[in-house]
Amino acid sequence: MSAPAQAGFGKVLKEWIFTCDHKRVGILYLIGSLAAFLVAGLMAMLIRVELSSVGPTLTANPGTYNVWLYFHGAAMILGFQIPALTGFLANYLIPLQIGAKDVAFPRLNALSLWLFWMGIVLALLTFVIPDPPDFMWTAYPPYSIISSGNTAFYTFTVLIMGFASIAGGVNLITTIIYMRAPGMTWSKLNMFVWCTFAAFIVQLIFVPVLGTAVTMLTFDKYLGTTFFSPGSGGDVLLYQNLFWFYSHPAVYVILLPFLGIVFDVVATFARNRVFNYKAAVYGAIAVALMSGEVWIHHLYASGMPDWIRIGMMISTILISVPVGVMMISLVGTLYRGAIDFKSPMLWALGCMFLFLIGGLTGIPNAMSAIDLHIHDTHFVVAHFHYVMAVAGTFAVMAGVTYLFPKMFGKMCNEGISKLGFVVTFIGANVTFFSMFFVGLQGMPRRYFDYQQFPQFQGLNQLITVGAFIMALGFLIVLISWIHALVAGKKAVDNPWGSRSLEWTTSTPPGPGNWAEVPDCTNFDPYGYGSNK
Amino acid sequence: MEGHDVAHHGGAAGHHEWEVSLWPLLLSVSVLFVLPFPFALYFVYKSGLLAVLALGIGVPLLTVSLVGWVSEAIKGRNVNSVEQGLGTGAVPFFIVAEAFIFAGFLAAYWATRLLAPSWPPAGTPHISMTIPVIMTIILVSSSVTIHFAEEKLEHNNVSGFISWLIVTIVLGAVFFLISAYEWSHLMGAGFTFSTNIYGSSFFSITGFHASHVIVGLTGFIAVLIPALRGTVSKNFVKSVSVYWHFVDIVWFFVVSQVYFW
Repeated sequence: MSAPAQAGFGKVLKEWIFTCDHKRVGILYLIGSLAAFLVAGLMAMLIRVELSSVGPTLTANPGTYNVWLYFHGAAMILGFQIPALTGFLANYLIPLQIGAKDVAFPRLNALSLWLFWMGIVLALLTFVIPDPPDFMWTAYPPYSIISSGNTAFYTFTVLIMGFASIAGGVNLITTIIYMRAPGMTWSKLNMFVWCTFAAFIVQLIFVPVLGTAVTMLTFDKYLGTTFFSPGSGGDVLLYQNLFWFYSHPAVYVILLPFLGIVFDVVATFARNRVFNYKAAVYGAIAVALMSGEVWIHHLYASGMPDWIRIGMMISTILISVPVGVMMISLVGTLYRGAIDFKSPMLWALGCMFLFLIGGLTGIPNAMSAIDLHIHDTHFVVAHFHYVMAVAGTFAVMAGVTYLFPKMFGKMCNEGISKLGFVVTFIGANVTFFSMFFVGLQGMPRRYFDYQQFPQFQGLNQLITVGAFIMALGFLIVLISWIHALVAGKKAVDNPWGSRSLEWTTSTPPGPGNWAEVPDCTNFDPYGYGSNK
Repeated sequence: MEGHDVAHHGGAAGHHEWEVSLWPLLLSVSVLFVLPFPFALYFVYKSGLLAVLALGIGVPLLTVSLVGWVSEAIKGRNVNSVEQGLGTGAVPFFIVAEAFIFAGFLAAYWATRLLAPSWPPAGTPHISMTIPVIMTIILVSSSVTIHFAEEKLEHNNVSGFISWLIVTIVLGAVFFLISAYEWSHLMGAGFTFSTNIYGSSFFSITGFHASHVIVGLTGFIAVLIPALRGTVSKNFVKSVSVYWHFVDIVWFFVVSQVYFW
């Protein structure tokens, strides 16, 4: 991009593919995660078409449907959301926000990036191999052990992406601790840096446990160990416990960075300090600390003593307190702000709205007495799509639109961007709000057909229509980005008028980010107007 | 904060060239050919030939990229001077992640064990308690000797450092050999990882520990070879020895839970 004018195509290509620079690593993360998003999104459309009418629609083979479900879940979570937030956004933003010239270990960073890409390659092999995994991204035994699906590829996808996450986490934690610019104290860090820091701590603790769970799974299936086979003293529920011990905190690995970027976008476009900054920071840390005490609520219906159900109900609801504190900070940041409804701000506000609906519908899910009835229905699907899937995706969109001028030196067309937002927002709500109703009426999740319940067809058709609207919205967003890359107006260094450090570099930033290490003695990332 | 100083006074701020390295990409590609492909080809698709073929591509690629990476780091060409100083700061976080791998296996072991109607489950042979005691003594001694080595290095006594380092490597290697002997002995007696849940847990946990011993020994050898030529990076020594102490501490959990409980 900003390579010297005389540089040939070969040199530019080399500087991208072999890059160790955190900004380019970040952008390559973005490209990989968007690829996963598109393919996993395609799977979602196939799922929706299949469910749009009673009886077999696209396929009469439930196994094929299971493969779509597997790829949709695994690629959306492991291939899109986690890498887009902790790979792309964290890599691109953190060194710029703390005033560092790069991450602590640039080559290790490139290794994380390419291992993630290898994970994507492995996941995409799903469509090539004769025995694609067909057991959702959860891979519960005994089905994943007796299924003809390729558990080994699932396991290695998780292990390779997991290692990439851990290496990336170690790298950025070290960066945040040791590489802050002079004067950049902990109390001056952007909310995004704090939230991502907390998310990386969560990753370091919990990803390895997922690694052990899927390793045991593959050992059981191919090497003959008996961890999950009750006949030889193993325990099937052990897998569910180990799996959710990681996979529930994984929700916070997604949640924390996405709230972090929403904080920064909202503060910039409301021209306001972050309301109750300290409480929000403690909130983020509390979420990280409490993330490991809620996982058993995924097993309410799997069977457990009532006293554990009650304990887990309390601990699950407890974690909504720090999350609520962060939400109050977000809303408070809007209060008396000079709000500018630019497209990144719309995505951020959309994210807050969707996250609130998702959070509130999480409460009935947390109540074991209610959850026993709605467990494994579409109500749960709607809940986690609101709270994590679409809210997280909206935050990624907010982040990309917000950083687009800095990354590529071009402005997105506001009209196309806003249109994309509006269409996506309508589509997301039509899809997932209807899903609550069909779920409450008893439509089970994961079924490829519902011949016994023809009364669900109407709502399912509405959901499918919503899904197509949402897909159209994302397509418009994609067009707005391509349009901006090709024909966008040139961006200035600080097009949004933000006070944050990343906007003080040139656009796009060159190698090393700043000519001189910035002095942050009198710096305040949220020092707007009268709050200064 | 030492690391902070290194970070900001180690080199000129703002380079003018994009930093590039071939090795991370090559290493990542080699990982595909070393782990998932051979495993899937051998265990899922039952083709030993193709598995060997994948390894034939993967292992040379892995070796070349590791050697390339390390020599690039030693030469200091296009190395961020920051890297050297921050390694010791990063190792504790890496160890946290490592510790939770063991925590996962041990938690699984505790869960199945506490829920088991009787222990040890049927089919478990007698497991010698002498061997783990000897292994513990050896591993703890190696932790002490690496500490001596570091002390020699503090006083700039490089030859003393090398001697103690070699003693540590020998102790670590002996530990690993005893572990291998015990494995083959037990397997010979018909106790394998598919015998029962104790076999599964026993071999996974001790196996994962042994793999960490190998990683530690590799680290020591990576210290020893340049040291013999007269270059020692104190930071790197510190990182590897902290890792080795971690391997030692984990062993206490392994030995107390898997053998003596």
